[in-house]
Amino acid sequence: MSKLGLVLFALFIAGTPAQAQKFPTATEILEKSQQAFYYAGTDMKARVTMELTTDTGKKRTRILTMLRKNDPKSKNQKYFLYFHEPGDVRRTAFLVWKYPEKDDDRWIFIPTLNMVQRVAASDSRSSFVGSDFTYEDISGRDLSADTHTLLREEKLGDADCYVIQSMPKSTADYTKKLSWIDKKNFLPLKEEYYDAQNELSRVFTGDKIEEIAAGEGAARKSYPTVTKRTMKNVKSGHRTEVSFTSVAYNVGLDDAIFTERSLRNPPRDLVQ
Amino acid sequence: MKHHRGTILALALLGSTVLPAFAADFSFHGFVEGAGGFRVVDNPSISKDATLGEGRLQAELSYQGPKTGRLFLKADVIGDGVEEEGKIDLREAYLDFSPQKVLDVRVGRQILTWGTGDLIFINDLFPKDFVSFYIGRSQDYLKAGSDAVKLSLFPGPFSLDLALVPHFRSSEVPKGERLSTFNPFTNRVTGRREKLSTRAPATNLENTELAFRLYRTFGSYEAALYGFQGFFKEPVGIDPAKRVLSFPELSAYGASLQGPFLQGIASLEFGYYDSREDRSGKDPKIENSSLRYLFGYEQEVWADFTVRAQYFLEEMLDFHAYRASLAAGAPRRKDLRHLLFLRLTHLFRYQTVELSLVAFYSPSDEDAHLKPEASYKVTDNWSVAFGANFFFGKKDSTPFGQLDANDNLYLRLRYSF
Repeated sequence: MSKLGLVLFALFIAGTPAQAQKFPTATEILEKSQQAFYYAGTDMKARVTMELTTDTGKKRTRILTMLRKNDPKSKNQKYFLYFHEPGDVRRTAFLVWKYPEKDDDRWIFIPTLNMVQRVAASDSRSSFVGSDFTYEDISGRDLSADTHTLLREEKLGDADCYVIQSMPKSTADYTKKLSWIDKKNFLPLKEEYYDAQNELSRVFTGDKIEEIAAGEGAARKSYPTVTKRTMKNVKSGHRTEVSFTSVAYNVGLDDAIFTERSLRNPPRDLVQ
Repeated sequence: MKHHRGTILALALLGSTVLPAFAADFSFHGFVEGAGGFRVVDNPSISKDATLGEGRLQAELSYQGPKTGRLFLKADVIGDGVEEEGKIDLREAYLDFSPQKVLDVRVGRQILTWGTGDLIFINDLFPKDFVSFYIGRSQDYLKAGSDAVKLSLFPGPFSLDLALVPHFRSSEVPKGERLSTFNPFTNRVTGRREKLSTRAPATNLENTELAFRLYRTFGSYEAALYGFQGFFKEPVGIDPAKRVLSFPELSAYGASLQGPFLQGIASLEFGYYDSREDRSGKDPKIENSSLRYLFGYEQEVWADFTVRAQYFLEEMLDFHAYRASLAAGAPRRKDLRHLLFLRLTHLFRYQTVELSLVAFYSPSDEDAHLKPEASYKVTDNWSVAFGANFFFGKKDSTPFGQLDANDNLYLRLRYSF
């Protein structure tokens, strides 16, 4: 409980000065954006297709089921990922317990050995399953690791956006990041990552946004969701397109799903 | 093949009662693989240079119900040029079902794995295939299936795995067939002409092996208790009269703890091996009881580069009784066996290229094993791996020293579907 207390205390401290201001600060916008992008609903289920394309057009495909649950009392989250394709990773599963302020707990299940292995996860810049997305891109970066500035407001296509600059406080895989955040739903529509030479290295685009409804009657809610996104490595020409299908929120995922049991024996009503 | 029949019959019976309720959810996958390997040093006891030369078709069938129940079959059809035979290896064949919300059951041939070690095992007393590891088959073949019933119970605060193995299956260790090995009857390294034979415990109720793991998490830390009653999986008993190796009775008790430490993951595992047929340690034909410790640490040093180090210590109990009873001329072991392990893994080119090195070194046995490997996932279907096994040792009787003349190179090409 002391850990949780600390988190709440930190959130309280961080929240206090911002509340006094009339206009949202860059950090507030990004907090809302993370909420909309990584924390929507109490939990989520989706089928994820990742298409990895090299500069010469060679394609690889990963298909997985993703289950995600938010801890109602903190910013902690639990993820369960189950791979359907390709053949060499079929039935492989990942379990991630994510903590914004310390290293995640990660486990991998290797089906051929029926083995659950703890994975050392100190470098969140590692590529996620060989894609252009890093682990951090998949589950969100700790906002306090960067200094954020609201540069301007501008239109991106038809959408009114905040443009925010984020500078890492210590070494990261980028030296500067620019984010275009949709004013309407706070989803990131575009992100530009700059490298140590201050050259553009990676570009994220939110290509398709859909409203996903959850609940019935008065409890009915709608969550704007980026169902198609691309990360392109500008330098190598490699890119990864991710599409989410069968997205569902507030499914009522039990905490017991995010345990070793599911790695060895995935919940089949959820992992189809 | 006799013991397979019982399993298949049991599966068929279970299947016929459960299957009709299944909704059709059927999947079929597998791979075709060609693998070759050869000795790069002269081996005086084996004339054949080839250590690996086989074509393999693996078929994997899965049939699952809408709520619970799954039938899983995995079999390899192998054309083996080294053994000069064709064979079918039923790798896994089991039925999964959950009769209660807190209970998962798996019945049939299955791979059983637990514990914190990487290629070093204390409380995982299920069969392994070290020969496959030493000749360069894929790591998929490190473990061999057990014919077992496994109950997994999840009452809440902790979890319990209980495995009953009615049919004994040993680990595959070098016996002079593909790899020359130390022969304790002649006290020298021998090959095909004097290959070692083993005698497995009879299949009966009394010999049914039992293994359990009780585990839970404490925050980011995982703790487990283990128990085992059965037999050694390696042939550590010798019967000089009949010139066969045997698998003495073994009980084992242990514990492990694993969790974040510094910038990585640390693990501790302990085991007490009670060699029930030689509790006094006076019988030189049977392995003594021992205490075993394993310390592991893994860290991702930078993106896509991971280092894992392990230190294993085995302390033979009743060492004086062992030494006093040892026959003249027999190799003498030390009371402490130290083993250091290092695994380096580096991924490149969007994780399609993997360079790895696995190294074992024992300062007490003065022997070592090095296994470098490079692999490349050419496409989602095609992959290729190239590697080597190098063995070093001052003495013929130590685990890696006996394999000294078996240094080999290997290549594998696989198409998955």
